Amino acid sequence: MPLLSRATLALTVAVAIAAPPLAAQRVTPNAYAITNARIVPVAGPAIDKGTLVIRDGIIVAVGATVTAPADARLVDGAGLTIYPGLIDAYSTLGLRAAPPSGGGGGGGGGGGGAPPARPAGAPNSRQPIGLQPEVRAIDQLVDRSDFTAAHGAGITTALTAPQGRVYEGQSALITLRSDDFAAMAVRPTVALHIGFQGIGGAYPGSLMGVFAALRQSLIDAQHYREEMVAYTKAPRSAKRPEYDPSLEALQPVIAGTMPVVFRANTQREIERALDLAKEFKLKAMIGGGLESYLVADRLKAENVPVLLSANFPRRTVAPAADAEPEALRVLRERVQAPKTPGQLKAAGVRFVLQAGGNHADFVANLRRAVASGLSADDALRATTLGSAELFGVADRLGSIEVGKIANLTVVKGTDLFAADARVSSVWVHGRPQTVAAPAAVTAARPAGPAGQRPGLEGTWQMQVQLEGSERIVTLALRDRDGWLSGTIEGDLGASDVVNLVVEESGEIAFSTTVTTKEGTDEAWFRGRLANGVFSGTISITGQARGLFAGLRQQASSTNREDR
Amino acid sequence: MLTTKFRASLAVAALALTTGFMPAAAQQAPRRVPSMLIKNATVITVTKGTLQNTDVLLENGKIARIAQNIAAPAGAEVYDGTGKFVMPGIIDPHSHGMSDATNEGTLSVTSMVRITDVLNPTAVNGHRSLAGGVTMINILHGSANTIGGQSATLKLKVGRPIGEMLPAGAPAGIKFALGENVTRKSQNAVPGGPPRRYPATRMGQAEVLRDAFTRTRAYKADWDEYRARMAARPAPTTLVAPRRDLELEPLVEVLDGKRFVHAHGYRADEMVMLLELAKEFGFTVRTLQHALEAYKIAPEILAAGASVSVFADSWSYKLEAFDAIPFNAAITVHTGVRTTINSDSDERIRRLNIDAAELMRYGGLTEQEALETITINGAWQLGMEQRTGSLEVGKDADIGIWTAHPFSVYARVERTIVDGETFFDRQQDAANRAVRAAERAELEKAEPNTVPSPRGAPSGPSRPAAPTGENR
Repeated sequence: MPLLSRATLALTVAVAIAAPPLAAQRVTPNAYAITNARIVPVAGPAIDKGTLVIRDGIIVAVGATVTAPADARLVDGAGLTIYPGLIDAYSTLGLRAAPPSGGGGGGGGGGGGAPPARPAGAPNSRQPIGLQPEVRAIDQLVDRSDFTAAHGAGITTALTAPQGRVYEGQSALITLRSDDFAAMAVRPTVALHIGFQGIGGAYPGSLMGVFAALRQSLIDAQHYREEMVAYTKAPRSAKRPEYDPSLEALQPVIAGTMPVVFRANTQREIERALDLAKEFKLKAMIGGGLESYLVADRLKAENVPVLLSANFPRRTVAPAADAEPEALRVLRERVQAPKTPGQLKAAGVRFVLQAGGNHADFVANLRRAVASGLSADDALRATTLGSAELFGVADRLGSIEVGKIANLTVVKGTDLFAADARVSSVWVHGRPQTVAAPAAVTAARPAGPAGQRPGLEGTWQMQVQLEGSERIVTLALRDRDGWLSGTIEGDLGASDVVNLVVEESGEIAFSTTVTTKEGTDEAWFRGRLANGVFSGTISITGQARGLFAGLRQQASSTNREDR
Repeated sequence: MLTTKFRASLAVAALALTTGFMPAAAQQAPRRVPSMLIKNATVITVTKGTLQNTDVLLENGKIARIAQNIAAPAGAEVYDGTGKFVMPGIIDPHSHGMSDATNEGTLSVTSMVRITDVLNPTAVNGHRSLAGGVTMINILHGSANTIGGQSATLKLKVGRPIGEMLPAGAPAGIKFALGENVTRKSQNAVPGGPPRRYPATRMGQAEVLRDAFTRTRAYKADWDEYRARMAARPAPTTLVAPRRDLELEPLVEVLDGKRFVHAHGYRADEMVMLLELAKEFGFTVRTLQHALEAYKIAPEILAAGASVSVFADSWSYKLEAFDAIPFNAAITVHTGVRTTINSDSDERIRRLNIDAAELMRYGGLTEQEALETITINGAWQLGMEQRTGSLEVGKDADIGIWTAHPFSVYARVERTIVDGETFFDRQQDAANRAVRAAERAELEKAEPNTVPSPRGAPSGPSRPAAPTGENR
């Protein structure tokens, strides 16, 4: 049997990818054998030099003494280490067009751009978009353009979820393969995802309203269940309850059979999520988990796993000389974040890792977690078998074992967590995939996965005209996996920015508490970013609408341009 | 000068800051409050007179003794109160602090929303309020709509879990609002923008209230009927309970007298409208908030069993505020209406003592009457007068220690104690600044706070993509 030369293999793969699916099926072999490779099965001890045989997308043999079958294409794995394909435990992969490339500016001047393509609503829903639990990611997979970057980070599998507002929709566990979208699903519905952004312009518009709306809909779902049970028992004597797709979709949620992922980063967001889950006996998970280490005891006691973002925050732009100093907690947060995985592990909290939309830095971030106290074994588990177990697919994915789907991450070198190791290929359903180089500059953080339109991250010096007088405030916005949060400080008091949403129209709205001479009240800022100026109106109950305009305080150039 | 114990706690604080990790035991174990003995102070009890050269003993979060020459129990912190003034913690019946949201203004009736869902236990305004000697606040929903959300009575145990800040057994509350903030007369409608939310007039506000309570009565009747049918023996097996309505449930509590109404209003006519409507539906308004024209209807307010919570001297900041007078509080007090001064502001909340002192200047309230407007009267308005609002044995140890009489403009708070624990200490606050500065310097040096140098040459080609790694 001829040993395929590397060049030939590359050519074959290139053909397979370029050709239409039907043709690809004809020219692509069904069986591969990767020989002489170091194999880390996760489910068992590492094999220093072994062979892995794939047939029809499934691992059919693995071991030190396995012989490659006669019809298999051979791949020389010398110098390579094979891992189970990494799983991104929380993403929007496949769900929308990639954000327009912002260039090196990252959070810099640019802004604007097309509004984010949020998932379409469910047809015939009685609820507005953002309150529809029946929305399913699997029905909305449309776009493969960000798979390449994910592959570059060794990611072969992902939980993908629509994002935005309150009931964000149901996630799917997909493999990042190149054939039709529906076939990507390993589990078409995994969890219901909940965020805490009001739906804007209508009830619920505020964070308070979000919780009231969630609570009422869960109570309605319980009531719907009771009515349905009564009606099923005696259809002729009970009033026929009308079919409601939203309440129907909540049935597995209130029964505790479908988990709920709450997108929560701060301690109080996490605690609010846990409180709601407790109130309705929901099977909760926390997505994001930036401050989960502060809630570790409760997470452990209540057996709530964390889909922890490995998109560790870091300073990307040098502060201008005259800039307000950054909040202490922001500085702390950056130092703390890589330590969190290790601390959660030590505290006995179940967690898995997600890329937080930042695939370019994913592997580097895993290394930072390992350098900050997480063992390499635990890091690997949290990106492979741990996620597979959590999402109920451990019988199919997550480790290198006979019978499992052949999703593999291949690393040049002996250790994924070594500084010089790099992902050399990934295999999805037994087929090798294109691997792109990671993006060149860490500082140019790509847009996150969510609908938040970046370009706003940073510190803004804002002039606010309110009731005939002028105030100066500093608005500091941070990007957390594509969602903005922050603080406002200055002539209007000090407060957190909450409920920041980017409307379909590109309009940016958020609320915050302000203090004027008339007292403390809530203010809604609503504006647009154009030509580097963030401007719009400010509304306070009982006061005439005011105006604001802000300029970025920090130098928008990165060091890269400064040099 | 720092005591050894204090140094140790500073070190622990610094450690906690750098690791960001709270020891598990500290969060879980039931909190043991150490005893404290304040010696030889001027003690303003509010309800039992002002006592010179008196000691106050705090044990287990309560006021254990008020007397002269109390011997310090073992382990108690002894505080030399010579020259200091000890008064009950100030109560602010109208605040929007410590909260991540204020208004759910999208609907005319939002009784289903709760301030307790959005509390921020570490908000900086909590710390600043403590620095003004405040220990308890009533966090109200905003005034954007006629029936707003459910309020929260909060003890300012800043930094503690929210559960510890909400005093057990505190009566529930809800915000109503009347007048221009609801009709949004002060905001121009945007051409082509969304239509104004109903109601646009005070007539409409009365209608919203009447409609809401009419619906509430029907809802209550549905549940009463269901419960009556379920009480029959044998109980029906196919009967499904009525749908729970989170909007109407709190209004049932209002009708049942289990939830206090705190109603924002300015003008006499709108307040009278509400008091009469409440009478019609059989509930009592607990407080009229702001109530700038209360002086015009003080006897009516008294007869309705309501109270008022007003500003000391804010007026003319909007059309409906033009008839405000600085003698408002004095008139309601003299009429016998329970009266408080509130802040409605994260800024004014730091100096409610001075606002109360102004009532002596305008209208000639006695020192005693003025003190009551920021202590025991507020406790009553929140249904907490048995627990706090004055210095009495057995009450919660909610206390401010001042450097001078709190009505002096030179008075500063040295310590603020909530449930027997110190939550603000001027000396510690100053010391913490040095700790924080050192921490900042340390953090600035940490790798994630430095700006990374770009990988590879800035303009060089990035590594070409490879279909598989093997062909290299």
